[in-house]
Amino acid sequence: MSFSTYKTDKAGLQKFYEAIIGACSTYAPVEKFGKYDYQKVAGLAACNPDSPIGNTMSIKPLFFPKSAKILKYKADSSGTEVSETTADPLAEKRVILGVKHCDARGLQVLDHVYKWDFIDTDYETRRNNTIIVSTRCDKAGEQCFCTSLDYDVEKSDAFDVLIVNGDNGTIYVQARTEKGEGFLKEHAGNLAAADGGAEEAMKKQYKSFEDSFRLKMNYEEINGKMKDRYESDEFDKVSANCIGCNTCAFICPTCHCFKISDERIKDEGVRYKSYDSCNNGYFTLMAGGHNPRPVKYRRWRQRAMHKFVYYKERFGVNLCVGCGRCAISCPVNISIFEVVKQVAK
Amino acid sequence: MDSEVKNKIVSIEKPQLEAPADWQPVIIGILCNWCSYAGSDLTGTSRIQYPPNIRIIRVPCSSRVDPWFLIKSLQTSADGVLVSGCHPGDCHYITGNYFARRRFLVTKKLLNFVGYHEDRIQFSWVSAAEGPKFAKVVEKVTQDIRKLGPLHLNKKENFNR
Amino acid sequence: MDYTKQIQDIAARLFSEGKIDVFVGYRSTGYDENQVPVIITDAGEVDKLVFNDRSVFNLVNYLKFEQTRNKRVGIVVKGCDSRALNLLLTESQVKRDNLYIIGIACEGVLGEDGRKAQNCLECVMPDAVVYDELLGTPSGKREYVVNADILEIAAKGLTERAAYFEDVFSSCIRCNACRHSCPLCYCAKCCIDQDSSALYNGSNTESSAFHALMTWSLHLAGRCVDCRNCEKACPSHLPLHLLHKQNEMVIYQNFQGHLSGLVPEERGAFYKYSLSDPDDFIM
Repeated sequence: MSFSTYKTDKAGLQKFYEAIIGACSTYAPVEKFGKYDYQKVAGLAACNPDSPIGNTMSIKPLFFPKSAKILKYKADSSGTEVSETTADPLAEKRVILGVKHCDARGLQVLDHVYKWDFIDTDYETRRNNTIIVSTRCDKAGEQCFCTSLDYDVEKSDAFDVLIVNGDNGTIYVQARTEKGEGFLKEHAGNLAAADGGAEEAMKKQYKSFEDSFRLKMNYEEINGKMKDRYESDEFDKVSANCIGCNTCAFICPTCHCFKISDERIKDEGVRYKSYDSCNNGYFTLMAGGHNPRPVKYRRWRQRAMHKFVYYKERFGVNLCVGCGRCAISCPVNISIFEVVKQVAK
Repeated sequence: MDSEVKNKIVSIEKPQLEAPADWQPVIIGILCNWCSYAGSDLTGTSRIQYPPNIRIIRVPCSSRVDPWFLIKSLQTSADGVLVSGCHPGDCHYITGNYFARRRFLVTKKLLNFVGYHEDRIQFSWVSAAEGPKFAKVVEKVTQDIRKLGPLHLNKKENFNR
Repeated sequence: MDYTKQIQDIAARLFSEGKIDVFVGYRSTGYDENQVPVIITDAGEVDKLVFNDRSVFNLVNYLKFEQTRNKRVGIVVKGCDSRALNLLLTESQVKRDNLYIIGIACEGVLGEDGRKAQNCLECVMPDAVVYDELLGTPSGKREYVVNADILEIAAKGLTERAAYFEDVFSSCIRCNACRHSCPLCYCAKCCIDQDSSALYNGSNTESSAFHALMTWSLHLAGRCVDCRNCEKACPSHLPLHLLHKQNEMVIYQNFQGHLSGLVPEERGAFYKYSLSDPDDFIM
């Protein structure tokens, strides 16, 4: 089924965004302390849907927040009482603007684990109620390698609406899913239908984008080789610099490990589900004191294998989506791209 | 120049939301065992009344008080904290309160810097013989906190929603 | 400021004389001007080492980890790094005999925007204070200046400051990168990571961040050397230096001009006292 393509210019795109912000609950990149976070916006002036790659956080917190209250309890001598917290603030119908392709793909990848043996209803509601509007990057970032992996960035349907910058200020807006088609019919009032040259212009943009990558890898080869590299000594060498902070897992668009913790005062408490990271020394610490991954290289091995081997084996998609955020945010610039390349050599 | 900086940091602002009519401040009192705790005991046996809002925690010495205790108290349910120890020179462990007063000053200034009013955490030297003084100290702290209002009301996210 | 050749030569010499097991230095990323730490284990790798005004990360952080524990370590330190090293030595976290220290008389490093970093502009001691070998000409101790950012914040009203810091604390994701990249945070288990639910703050909320960041900066007070490892590590770009510089200012102004790590064997400000310390704020 082919989806509609529209065409407009910069001013038209602004109007389009403003119409969306006016009509729906909209999230877009907002600047905070020099980096961009996706927050609800009330007007276009407060946000920047074209935020730079290296500086934009992923949309994962809008689907899997850094901290979520899951229940309240009161436990005293008369018994235990459990109650719900207030309604999920992220479950409303909403639109996210300025999403990068890698982040949208990250959600597609996460869908597998959240609908696997137990359906995570919170996540499902949030996913179903969200329309994703993705602007294709014009140039790859220093640490990006999304085109080297196992998904087709050009033909991706991870997002509902695609925005591509063509030549001479022309901007193409294309639906990529049925949801997107319906959404555009409703909100693309000021956009003109695109003519025949749209396909070619978008292909041209994609080609120049693809050529701008510094990092490229042969995914099939790496994935194949990594399967046998469990006992490799290279893991020790590549993880030597790691300082064991949790940054890479927290900002990764596909990392989904969490911890449950209670916070209480006397008899009343709240239970939270928050981010956790397998790189943390205490991640595998069990009651009784045994810790199967006490040393750094074992944790790094687990991380690299999970991202490039185990998830693919189980669900058929690679967990890492090549956004490069781990390398950008890592205090010592360890890049998972370099790690797997080194291990699979 | 330095004194200018010191004086700039203190300013009084009104809280934005009004406290409920029946609100009672929660004040944590951390008292050193040998002087202040004994002093508060004397207050009680002398039948001197003081506000019941204070919850007392006994520590061996004011030096035992880690700034972490003060932060944690304010983060959970306390509206104010009082820490009390022996007079300088009279510490049961000789030098404990000398170290403690350094920590207290830095903690107070840092809390004020991040937007908590200076009077949220207060300190006193109360000896074992100063029963009336302890009552006056608790009276003052409770009044100050009442004026400042509940701590958690104006925060965007309450700890225990 | 470029000591690449000297450091490579010294490292090669140390390996060939069998004086060290590992060497901790900087290497280039290969695709931009930034440098990253590198731990090399034999003389064949010394050509990876570089040192210039982009060598920013405080390498003393690596003295906490498995790779350097109980080994003989060669390390490169600038002024601020060496002050942190002084404190680690005083606090018995590393043995002086296990270290070969190459000290640098630092001329300041550049931030990501290509301009001199703020902490370098306010540096009190650019020359390494502990070393086996010093590269560069020492320029001596400088006058302490109060950080411009904290003066700006102090000039705002209380409610404005509260709103600003609530913003800061709610952007924190509790990744703990600040603690892990700080050379002086070496506790095997942090006090706020306890298992008891009364103390633990696992939620990544604003109040949890308030608890973590305030406790952390107060435990570092009197010891922090302003190397800015924490701020560079923070993925949310929080202005962590505000908390540390505020503590540093209060300590400098009230406790006989104490600045951390300048003198060997001298502990942090909270481990000393003076009979004339101010206590007029105590009733």
